[in-house]
Amino acid sequence: MVKPKIICVTGGKGGTGKTVVAVNLATMFKNKGFKVLLIDGDVENPNTYLLLNGKLKNKTEVLYFLPKILEDKCNKCGLCAENCATHALLHIKDSIPIPISTVCSGCKLCYKICPTNAIEADLKVIGWIYTSSAFNIDLFLGELKPSEARSAVIVKTLMKKLEEVIKIDQNKYDVVILDTAPGAHCDVEELISQADLIIPVTEPTRFGKLDLLRIIELINLLKREYKVIVNRSSLLGYKDKFLLELEEKGIEILGDIPLDEDIVSSYCQGIPLMEISRNSDKNGAGYKSFNEIFENLLKWGEFLK
Amino acid sequence: MNRKKIAVISGKGGVGKTSLVASLASIAHKDPFNKIIVLDCDVDAPNLALILPPKTKENIVSYDTFTTKKATFLEEKCTNCKQCYDEHFCEFGALDWDEENNIPILDYLACEGCGACKVLCPEDAFEINPVKSGEIIAYEADVGFPLIYGKTKLGSTTSGLLVSEVKEHATGLKEFNDANLILIDGPPGIGCPVIATVSGSDYIIAITEPTPSGLHDLKRAIEMVNQFNIPFGIVINKADLKSASQKELNSYIKKSSYEVLGRINFDLSIPKAMSYAEPVVDFAPESESSRSIKEIYKKLYLILSLKN
Repeated sequence: MVKPKIICVTGGKGGTGKTVVAVNLATMFKNKGFKVLLIDGDVENPNTYLLLNGKLKNKTEVLYFLPKILEDKCNKCGLCAENCATHALLHIKDSIPIPISTVCSGCKLCYKICPTNAIEADLKVIGWIYTSSAFNIDLFLGELKPSEARSAVIVKTLMKKLEEVIKIDQNKYDVVILDTAPGAHCDVEELISQADLIIPVTEPTRFGKLDLLRIIELINLLKREYKVIVNRSSLLGYKDKFLLELEEKGIEILGDIPLDEDIVSSYCQGIPLMEISRNSDKNGAGYKSFNEIFENLLKWGEFLK
Repeated sequence: MNRKKIAVISGKGGVGKTSLVASLASIAHKDPFNKIIVLDCDVDAPNLALILPPKTKENIVSYDTFTTKKATFLEEKCTNCKQCYDEHFCEFGALDWDEENNIPILDYLACEGCGACKVLCPEDAFEINPVKSGEIIAYEADVGFPLIYGKTKLGSTTSGLLVSEVKEHATGLKEFNDANLILIDGPPGIGCPVIATVSGSDYIIAITEPTPSGLHDLKRAIEMVNQFNIPFGIVINKADLKSASQKELNSYIKKSSYEVLGRINFDLSIPKAMSYAEPVVDFAPESESSRSIKEIYKKLYLILSLKN
């Protein structure tokens, strides 16, 4: 393998089981001897480490541009405020402009065009990146600072970190699994666009279906390959009808996971269901379905080992 | 006018925001003192319309929004000076150089429309234009109150601005002046679209479930809400779940003395109601969960003194 295969677990709707799937796929790859990296790209609410009983370590700050006005240099011309697309600089005639940090996009235009060089590129912390490992799975995790808005910057920082690691050692990882936020916004888009295989996780409800169709539209827009996992497939006996509906739309299924108490308890324990050291019921519905999904995934991604 | 805006958020997705909003809307609407408007600000995955369909197709108002701006390159003006690339005009990685044709290339998705390239180019070879970012859909729901929601155009990087647009549409409705309650279904997370949802709200309902992720994300959502100084109350869904997090959640609430609006135990009538696309309080009014939601409404009513 020249470079690691990147699998992105996403889903559109929140709470469909993205993180449970991502963590258990990582565990199954590890069980088979693959070197696995899990990247938690749900930076608004990163939860992978909770499901792995992991500790967040090696905290580094993600810094972002913020204009700082040097009052002694400013001639109060207002050119910066005039050209600021997000109105992040408030300028009242004949006074020094005031930066409004929450709406600043970080384009640095003010800093570049100030005729008297009165704007300095200051930095603010908008979040953090952590690296750690649990159950022999390496983990990169991003966290947005609450009340900050630019989550996509944290996601990009995570992916840059991956690039750096691969540059140093091409064989560091065989498989990288990305866990995304719900929704179909820029953070999700960034991760989908960087992956080889996309796995949207859905549930057999009307909400699940509607949001699945939207995330598939995004995946198609980004020209990626995908196969769907239907979680909680036994909910209300709606499974067959749901699978049929997806099939009619030409949507390929990687597998389905029925409701299973053991999945819920593994989730609350913080030990993946598929972790060898956990005493999971090997005949349980969840356990069997995860094994089946993994077999299908190995074939689909042509993973050799 | 004593008009209250209440937004429902959660941090973690899939914990019951939309189900709760649909039920609270139904209860509030049946109270003759109330005139309500309901908004779905989860513009990435708007689902509330499934439970609250329009009364007639004819009363649907929908229009495109242009909250996104993107740069366009004007080749005829370019003198191939390469300054834009060499001097790093774009901070978003949307401006690359096409060596073969000796001109810049723009990455449409990465472009944030900030206008730096336009302002900085000495030859005015870039333009900034608004592009379609999504849709606003508004109608009178079959149950009899206005519903407004937004839907992003995929790949338009605009969720937050579209949320503001949904809220603005509501203020322009003729029903707005008489409305005493604006109920907002928020997106998951705590980022840009959630901040846009909660800003200007009078009260926040933070719904969660007693799992490690539910609690973790609730804390982050509350941290964000506190930065904006908006009063809030907590609803615990699936409150009887067997989970080690029960203890931690309870001690968190006890220590913080945050308001708990109510607890909803797991009850199959909720997923069933969803599969019939009905608010649970209408589908199974006598179920345990419906009774819990009615209690939540009563408490909300007192806290916000909805009646003048």
